[in-house]
Amino acid sequence: MRNYEIMFIVNPNATDEEVDKINGQIEGIITSGGGKIEKIEKMGKRRLAYEVDKQREGHYVLIVMGANGDIVKECERRLRVMDAVIKYITVRTDEEVRRFEKIRNYRQKRAARRSSGASAAPSQSSEEAMQ
Amino acid sequence: MRSATKEKRPAGQKQYYRRKKVCKFCVERIDTINYKDVKLLSQFVPERAKIMPRRISGVCSPHQRQLNAAIKKARNIALLPFATE
Repeated sequence: MRNYEIMFIVNPNATDEEVDKINGQIEGIITSGGGKIEKIEKMGKRRLAYEVDKQREGHYVLIVMGANGDIVKECERRLRVMDAVIKYITVRTDEEVRRFEKIRNYRQKRAARRSSGASAAPSQSSEEAMQ
Repeated sequence: MRSATKEKRPAGQKQYYRRKKVCKFCVERIDTINYKDVKLLSQFVPERAKIMPRRISGVCSPHQRQLNAAIKKARNIALLPFATE
């Protein structure tokens, strides 16, 4: 199981119910495929940075989930055929999170070492430069 | 002018003081550069919407790499522009 984020933009002319319907469909694909939804966030109507399908605005939706490649493939296929969805992106996040945790652990360890004694002092400056 | 400064400074040294650039992400301990954080990313895309080079922003190379990836993702989903008209 890997963690992914799908973000997509729905046509600004779509109503709130239509957006919810799309969310429901995607949710169905993920849960029926054995994935787990962590969060569905409607980020509301936002201005697009450039024109997409003659639109300058769009409803942004973010779905955070744990899934596998097949589910992602199916979701992307469905998003592609939906007329109301004008753009989507899928990002894998678990690698990023793992790296972040590694850094945090390292930092905690260093803080513990520093408070325990001044013996680690000479190597500190090089570590500081690294991070 | 050159001869006047020569006695004060050794050869090759800059004639005016320039503040040392520091990596924003290192200083503020920002670990993950997320593509959704438009406010943060837009600090590194000047007017023409190009990615600001490291020599100007002072970002360290590991963070610049992350920043590049994040900006490109953000562009893909229309959070940031590719270019301004």
